[in-house]
Amino acid sequence: MDKINLCLAQISTRLGDVESNAKKHIERINESNADIVCFPELSLTGYMIKDIAFEIYDRCLKAIENIRKNIKKDQLAIIGSVIKNELKTINNGAFVIKGNEILGNVKKFYLPTYGLFEEMRYFTPAFPLKDLKVFEFKGINFGVIICEDAWHYEPVEALVRMGAQVIFCLSSSPIRGVNKAKKGKLLIEDQWEALIKAHSIINGIYFVFVNRVGPEDEEFFWGGSMVSSPRGEIIARCKKYEEDVINITIDVSEVEKSRRFSSFKIHQNSFHEILSKL
Amino acid sequence: MSKHFLKSIPEELRVNVKEVVDYITLRLRHYILDYANRNKYVIGLSGGVDSSVTTYLAVKSLGPRNVHVLLLPSNSTPKQDIEDAYEVINFLNIPKENVAYIEIDEIVDEFSNMLGVKDSLGVGNIKARVRMIILHGYAHKVKGLVLGTGDKSEITIGYFTKYGDSGVDVLPIGDLYKTQVRQIAAEVRLPERIYIKPPSPALWQGQTAEGELGIDYLTLDRILYRKMELWMNDEEISKELNIPIATVEKITNMIKNSQHKRLPPEIFKIGFRSHGSDWRYPREWK
Repeated sequence: MDKINLCLAQISTRLGDVESNAKKHIERINESNADIVCFPELSLTGYMIKDIAFEIYDRCLKAIENIRKNIKKDQLAIIGSVIKNELKTINNGAFVIKGNEILGNVKKFYLPTYGLFEEMRYFTPAFPLKDLKVFEFKGINFGVIICEDAWHYEPVEALVRMGAQVIFCLSSSPIRGVNKAKKGKLLIEDQWEALIKAHSIINGIYFVFVNRVGPEDEEFFWGGSMVSSPRGEIIARCKKYEEDVINITIDVSEVEKSRRFSSFKIHQNSFHEILSKL
Repeated sequence: MSKHFLKSIPEELRVNVKEVVDYITLRLRHYILDYANRNKYVIGLSGGVDSSVTTYLAVKSLGPRNVHVLLLPSNSTPKQDIEDAYEVINFLNIPKENVAYIEIDEIVDEFSNMLGVKDSLGVGNIKARVRMIILHGYAHKVKGLVLGTGDKSEITIGYFTKYGDSGVDVLPIGDLYKTQVRQIAAEVRLPERIYIKPPSPALWQGQTAEGELGIDYLTLDRILYRKMELWMNDEEISKELNIPIATVEKITNMIKNSQHKRLPPEIFKIGFRSHGSDWRYPREWK
């Protein structure tokens, strides 16, 4: 089966209110007939949780368990959450739940710690050799990355070379530069669109960007979730500044077709040998 | 009595008073002389343990001549508190010309009548804010800094008036729980009544902190200590201290609901670099 239905659940969450956020997840999942429902980064907890991050994992686990029981058997959901690892530190990550089963989790590789971001104060980064994972569902291979991971080449590139045809990118991109918006478009929105298209074109993949929307203390997340085809066309776009849900059917045979007339077939690994020494 | 009181302080809340006093006075000197470039403190002295210990620390850091003390009683201030305040002033040898006594009722009534605010909490907040205005006006006159007298217990549960008693330049005892402030008062031998009497903001007659909170300060501090310093959750605290979970949860909610009082007002981010979000410079900025 080449076609699959995706649901971009662009939600607003309440900081630290895992229980009510989980309820919203269940509602969105139950309302949707999509095969895969994807939520934003840290969708269970909210993004700017600060020290709450250290105290919230048990509640996230309970919520995940609750969601697992409430999901249709032939449905898969990707949910942003705090994850505790074997070192007893925490990661910014996501759970992948299929029907009644928790397929696994993913963790963020690149933790932004500049400007308004301070993720390294709280989270441990994922280790590529251990944490890169490709999931299979209904004949489709996909990978999951988190926000800042898309601002680098390697996470997407590695997942694609491991077989991913679709990349889900859970995001909490805060608004800035409202004062300099051009024709209603923010610089950060333009930047994301460029990244999404570039990843799609270079790798011949569907790129599904699901961004958080709504306020958290000083910050505001702009939403505008979007999907790019393997040729780099934006084929779905959520509203900005408000909650939105978009369902879209993608045809992953396009992945193969797009790679016939693209440079994807060539991959010079030795570049990475040089990079690894720099 | 003092010995008995000191013995009653549980180990985890006990501080090394000499170290703490030396440290705060060092920090105060640095703050006022090097950073603020001033040399006078202005303190609202109520005769309670917090303002008495703050005044003690101020005197210890720059001497009594550089400490200005304002007594700002209202109709809800117990007479005993005023006597206690004078006892502290004498104990610390603060010169008479550095002491001002200003009754605030007339000013408070003006506001209260003009606004039609008559309830005790509303009028109490006006009192706290009137005091703030007087303290800053006075500090302007003597080129001083207003020392806040809030302690960690009050700050943590939000037991203060926003822009009232929190409207100050620096909070020297803001990281000491009430019990620890009392321990300092006892060990530096401030008059006994100062640290034995039940703490009260005296914003209305008969108000006591413990009556309002429904819990004594020692218990509150044991809860707060476990929550803040030991990262314990409500259930663990309730079990360890044998306190009903509802009481611990009430405190947790007070902490959560008062977070807005401890932070500067929210600024909605619009540009690329905003105060509070990603424009971050140190307070001491040369």
